[in-house]
Amino acid sequence: MSGLKIDDAKIKEAIETISKYGGEAVVKCVQCGACSGICPGVRVGFNVLCRMLIKRILTGQLEETLEEVSTWGCQACNRCTEVCPQGVRPMEVVFAFRRYQASELALSTSAFGPQMSLYNVGHAVTISPEAVAENRKKAGLPETPPTALNNEQAQKEIQTLLDNSPMAELGIF
Amino acid sequence: MEKVGLFLGCNIPFRAPDIEKAFRSILPEFGIEPVDLEGASCCPAWGTAPSFDLDTWLSLSGRNISLAEEKGVDITTGCNSCFGVLSEAKHMIEHKPGKFDVVNEKLKLIGREYKGTSKIYHIMHLLYAIIGPEKIKEKIKYNFEGIKVALQQGCHSVWPSDVYEVKEENPFFPIHLKTIVEATGAEAPHYSRIEDCCGMGAMSSSDREKSLQTFKRKISSIKEEIDPDVVVTGCSSCYLQFDGSQKVLKERGDIDFEIPVFHVTQFLAIALGFDPKLVAGICQVSRDEIVKEMQSEKRLVK
Ligand code: SF4
Ligand code: SF4
Repeated sequence: MSGLKIDDAKIKEAIETISKYGGEAVVKCVQCGACSGICPGVRVGFNVLCRMLIKRILTGQLEETLEEVSTWGCQACNRCTEVCPQGVRPMEVVFAFRRYQASELALSTSAFGPQMSLYNVGHAVTISPEAVAENRKKAGLPETPPTALNNEQAQKEIQTLLDNSPMAELGIF
Repeated sequence: MEKVGLFLGCNIPFRAPDIEKAFRSILPEFGIEPVDLEGASCCPAWGTAPSFDLDTWLSLSGRNISLAEEKGVDITTGCNSCFGVLSEAKHMIEHKPGKFDVVNEKLKLIGREYKGTSKIYHIMHLLYAIIGPEKIKEKIKYNFEGIKVALQQGCHSVWPSDVYEVKEENPFFPIHLKTIVEATGAEAPHYSRIEDCCGMGAMSSSDREKSLQTFKRKISSIKEEIDPDVVVTGCSSCYLQFDGSQKVLKERGDIDFEIPVFHVTQFLAIALGFDPKLVAGICQVSRDEIVKEMQSEKRLVK
């Protein structure tokens, strides 16, 4: 962090942006590090999660952190939320940051597949219809599950919700 | 509780429908009828709408929850991601200023309404708090005395404790799964990394090596400290990681053992005497031998 200049305008912009995307408690952080100490992501080298990500935000380094990949490795496990003495809900800050990154399309192309699949069939995790049918037969279940997978009405509803969302402007489905 | 809405998600009905079968088998034994939530979608998974837009997440989850509300039932799920996503969405819709109205505005577009009348239970919570260990003890056909279980409860059944319907007294020392497993007569000893993450989820999709490293740390600790006969998970994603990644680590020479894995519903379905081919028939690490032992004659109750 050598040479970092504290720029009030940038700090204000960073806090406002992250708050807008759902991480408004970020300002309560006292940088104690309890969250990072328990974070499974930090443990394996996704370093810019929890305390470190929050430090970047609180020092106004929004754009400088735009391409950071750590945020996409967050397990959404909420250990951080549980231990934070300040009620910051660090995971929600991580997800707010992801939303900021996504709004700038700063995400790996591998993230697109699940969005497309959610839009098309209502499920992010899919395997081929044949494999689904075969697995279900083994379990003695009807080949088609009672979910959105083969339900046109349900798929239309999901598409309507997604079409009327900021996600539609990203061109990811 | 007479009926409960079965929220299937994606992995259970597509990749591990033997877990779905186990759900459908055991619940009626405990006097609860599972009800389908027709047209339910992905919860939506953490890497989808929750990572892009908060209100879209809340409206997709709100739609799923409204399917149960329409039928007048609560929801249960065996996937911790589904459980976490739906529980947090419910909590935000009902407690984050303005969200209740935003979600209902969105749902109006598809002729639906979110009311907030359905509760969301993890299947472990249902088994622990609503059915209870006494009822499980009453119903088991095979006694699992002497079978040693490594517990894997999974992240999204314990944290963040403030949004869940049923809470652990100490979320860093969870006892719900332990109590359920011990009701079969099996033993479920503590091990030092019991509340560690298994490495499935975003970590796995964004960096498989980091995920395997996390998993190896946990499975090695399990093997060295308690050397169990089986692993029982509360979460279908943990289940897929434990079942699939042991194979990967073994093929690479990173571990030299394999421990059979069950989702808690499968473990109970075996104890209740259901056909293992249907309720536990799809796996990478073979369960044949241990299932034979679990359903052996000498274990028959009465
Ligand atoms: S939710 Fe994300 S940031 Fe928080 S402890 Fe888990 S992996 Fe780390
Ligand atoms: S635990 Fe809370 S206060 Fe401490 S560094 Fe993390 S977010 Fe900040």
